[in-house]
Amino acid sequence: MDTRDRETSRTPAILRPRLNRRVAVKGAAAIGLGAPSMRFAMPAVHAQDIVQIRLGTWAAVEEANELQSVLDEVNAAAEGFEIISEPQPADYYTKLQTTLAGGTGPDLFWLSQEFVAGYADLGAILDISDMLESDDTPAADLSDYFEPILRTAQYDGRTFGLPWISQPVMLYYNPQLFADAGVDEPTEDWTWDDFRSAAEAITDADAGIYGTSFNSWPPIHMFIWQAGGETITPELDACPIDTPEAIEGAQFYADIIYKEQYAAPESAIAEQGFGEMMKAGKIGMFYGGATDDLDYAYKKDPANAEIKMALVPSGPAGRTTFAWTASTVINADTENPDVAYQALVALTEGIHHWKIVAPRQSLATEETIAEVVPDKAESAPIIVQALEDMRSFNIIPDQAEWDLTFSEEYQTPLFFDEATAEELAPEVRPILEDQLP
Amino acid sequence: MFSWYGLTLVDYVVVAVGMAAAMFGVYWLLRRFGVGRETSTGYALILPWLIGLVVWTVGPFLASLYLSFTEYAPIQKGWPTWIGLDNYVEMFTEDRRFWRVLRFTLGYSVINVPLGLIGALLTATLLNQDVKAIGVWRTLYYLPAVLPAAATALLFRWMLASNGLLNDMLSPIYNLIDVDRPSWFTDPEMVLPAYIIMGLWGVFGANTVILLAGLKNIPRDLYDAAKIDGAGRWSMYWNVTIPMLSGTLFYVLIIGIIGSLQTFTQAFFIQHTARAGTFMNVYIYQEAFERNNMGYASALGWVMLVIILLFTLLVFRSSSAWVYYEGERAK
Repeated sequence: MDTRDRETSRTPAILRPRLNRRVAVKGAAAIGLGAPSMRFAMPAVHAQDIVQIRLGTWAAVEEANELQSVLDEVNAAAEGFEIISEPQPADYYTKLQTTLAGGTGPDLFWLSQEFVAGYADLGAILDISDMLESDDTPAADLSDYFEPILRTAQYDGRTFGLPWISQPVMLYYNPQLFADAGVDEPTEDWTWDDFRSAAEAITDADAGIYGTSFNSWPPIHMFIWQAGGETITPELDACPIDTPEAIEGAQFYADIIYKEQYAAPESAIAEQGFGEMMKAGKIGMFYGGATDDLDYAYKKDPANAEIKMALVPSGPAGRTTFAWTASTVINADTENPDVAYQALVALTEGIHHWKIVAPRQSLATEETIAEVVPDKAESAPIIVQALEDMRSFNIIPDQAEWDLTFSEEYQTPLFFDEATAEELAPEVRPILEDQLP
Repeated sequence: MFSWYGLTLVDYVVVAVGMAAAMFGVYWLLRRFGVGRETSTGYALILPWLIGLVVWTVGPFLASLYLSFTEYAPIQKGWPTWIGLDNYVEMFTEDRRFWRVLRFTLGYSVINVPLGLIGALLTATLLNQDVKAIGVWRTLYYLPAVLPAAATALLFRWMLASNGLLNDMLSPIYNLIDVDRPSWFTDPEMVLPAYIIMGLWGVFGANTVILLAGLKNIPRDLYDAAKIDGAGRWSMYWNVTIPMLSGTLFYVLIIGIIGSLQTFTQAFFIQHTARAGTFMNVYIYQEAFERNNMGYASALGWVMLVIILLFTLLVFRSSSAWVYYEGERAK
């Protein structure tokens, strides 16, 4: 424990007020917040010199309970810190930003992949590159992480967090609907054409049965990648959505989404629920995350339809699949950066043995998946196979603004047939590129 | 965990003790300057409210004005960057979303406010009749004002679903004129009508009660005099009731305009299709908390304030032509 920690342990937190600059920016409001917030800016310290590290997550009840079990083990093995879970399942990012702005943010918190670069760019999270270099614990070994996943926790060549999950998109399908339509079940050789033909054959709109269901999910980017295109280059210097490959991918998606010949209409999805329609046996094929319970929900509740898992169909340039990932990062204002880092590494190790799929090559095995979630044992070989093709977005600091523009100017008119990808892409590209760093 | 709650309790005690000390301090100071005992006590007692006003209203008000001239993300390190009028220039010249949102918000207000006002007036007139169990009816019609807006929004989301109650009720009409059931919240053409239908819910709330109070306040002898002069029911309503109620209508109109331009809760909970646009307050929230543009959101807030002020001023300026005050001298 460093000198600051010792000082902290001697003096009651409430007696050591500290105002930071951002609190001052709040002007008069900060005056009122001052007294209560001063304590929050302090590290909570036990009499036994144990630093309390607050962890902010979006975990809902069930996930929070599971996380607490992980934390109990981590805390039991920890020396000098105790991680306190502070789940905020509703309006997570709003609350997180507000607490960070007020100087009362948690020491560690979860960030979905699209937020890490932005928070890093604004200096809100700690650069842990140097700490990682001098750390030889397994969770700190960056070479063990899947490179596309690790990249989402990095910005400008520096590392700002540790990913705790890599969840590739898989194709879930309803074998009964395939049998009813006389269509063969998906195989590894499946292509876009096979997917579209099957969707058309399964669809019976009058009966409320649809071949598939798109709703801006899965991300259209995945299909652009599968066609050989790109939305933001890895160098973050261009948005080549008007290349023939990118246009082909986007148009394939646009020709399916909400088209009652293949897919559920927007109103049905909005009212009946996206995944719920699949579980209810109304959707033939559904793109879902590898962790989703679709392929075993029917074993727990016979009201759910039997669903199997397959690899996503290949596009003209390959079978690239989108991987959802998130990282745990350290608040740049934490009073105990070193202890927070120790807690981060310990916590990450714990989560890697709880969540599937762990973003580390050494842990992303059939055995680990089956051990962590026994219900996924049957699907584990396919999930492991999909890991080879997974990737994430290339992310810019102002990703939220970029995503909104992409959605409003490109996706929405495309999905509702206001124009074709070929017509829209050249017009939208410069608008998107204006927002690049 | 207990220590955390314990320390929070300490926070509250510290604030309470600090406040009490400040009140005694103010009293002592004023007395030292020769201010009377009663006056000093008064100032000391309103001190908590004054502090609240400065800290929670005036402070954020001025802070948002300053922030509207800056580029500022709440989580950024360092001070906001002063950019002058850039946020305002961007809003009016580059931000296509702003115009769409403004059109949506004004469109809603222009239709919703008059409809709501007329509906509330009619309801209040009905509740002003001498019928049996009128107390029960009045209670029933006031119930919507008691329900939380979020619960109402969720209720309407269910009622206005494609297979919801409203479409089920209207299905004979749809069949008659051969149209599909509308998707109220996913069809961009239907989103505004859906919110207007939802807005009518407010008719049966506080506005009705206020207007009912206004109706009750009209002296009976005016109606008696009108009857003697041979006035019919409609003539009495138009020439007695409406003029005598105009002051109350004026108040309800102002509150209605401000409330409709500040609509937030319904749209926040319902999440209609983005293609239709949204309400200005939702847009401000999205800019501030979802896209981290607190400076730009502050500028939007100030433009909205100016728009509301303009509408309010317009109604105030027009009031001399249609609002009757009993004590006012004829010009």
